Amino acid sequence: MNDPTLIGPCADYEHELVELHDGELPPEHARIVRLHVAQCARCRAWAEQFAALDATLAAELPQPALSPAFDARLRERLSALGVPAARGELRSRIELEHDSLIESLRKVTWRRGLLGAVGSAAATLGVLAAAKGLLARSTDWTSLLGDGPERWVAMGTLGATIAVAALAWSAMRRGVLGLGWPR
Amino acid sequence: MDAGIEDHLAAGRHARAFDLVVPAYKDRVFRLAYSILKERAAAEDATQETLVRVWKALPGFDGRAQLGTWIYAITRNTCLMELRRRRPMVSFDDPDSTEAQHAAASIASGPAADPERDNLLRLVDALPRNQQEAVRLFYLEDRSYEAVAEQLGMPLGTVKNLLHRARKRLMELARPDEVIAA
Repeated sequence: MNDPTLIGPCADYEHELVELHDGELPPEHARIVRLHVAQCARCRAWAEQFAALDATLAAELPQPALSPAFDARLRERLSALGVPAARGELRSRIELEHDSLIESLRKVTWRRGLLGAVGSAAATLGVLAAAKGLLARSTDWTSLLGDGPERWVAMGTLGATIAVAALAWSAMRRGVLGLGWPR
Repeated sequence: MDAGIEDHLAAGRHARAFDLVVPAYKDRVFRLAYSILKERAAAEDATQETLVRVWKALPGFDGRAQLGTWIYAITRNTCLMELRRRRPMVSFDDPDSTEAQHAAASIASGPAADPERDNLLRLVDALPRNQQEAVRLFYLEDRSYEAVAEQLGMPLGTVKNLLHRARKRLMELARPDEVIAA
């Protein structure tokens, strides 16, 4: 099959011949290429072949147009859609949602903070009252725990009570999965 | 041309902006759609769909891209979705593919009602898809490289190369018996 590539010294002219034909070359450059074409049979033949193809494509390729009913059809479709939300409206809607979310988060945080503060104050007061009572009753508070194995049982019970209290406090502050408490 | 449209957009008058978009762009959108889809009716449907999408999205157009660039990108996406919807489809992207060779064979042997014109159309159809689109659009847009580059979203140099390769290939296919050599 034919390869219409210009080879040899004319190879550089191929793109320029196309640009000359399309009127894309600057005037001085176009003059130089025209001088070459006038003297070179190969380039002249190539340029003529290209011009013929270009003319055929321009004449023969379909030039379709929109149907006369296009605008009416489009109007019909658009009227069924209504007016789209403006960018400003969309933005203010999103901003309102964002503000309301931030406000509800602030309320929850404030409520939890207050509960935490009250709980902490009550626990501190309780510990202080218990310590004061112990100090008032005895200088040797370890005697309250008894002697021998009885002391270990009492200390174990006390430790377990503190652990359960800490767990309950933590659960109250952070919620417990499975019980439906808010986290 | 787009200045009036952009003024309306900046002022939030989207419906009035759209009223100017339709006459300014509908024909170019149609020609771009035709160059991709190759069928008048399908191209008209794609043009409708593109303008409906533009209508819906116009309030969100932020002006960072040129309006035309944005509309042509919507057009190309609409057409590509239509091409994907069509099954099976034959791709000529690879000129050495079996499909392209079959197409070339049918060009050589197939019947034709208007032989010369029909043959030319089939030659164009045998080109890789991006070359076909560029060739159709170039001649639909009155041989404007700039219009083709803008509508296909390609640099000008890429479009010139694409068209050069496409027309050279057409010369090769159309004149198998003539040789131009040193």
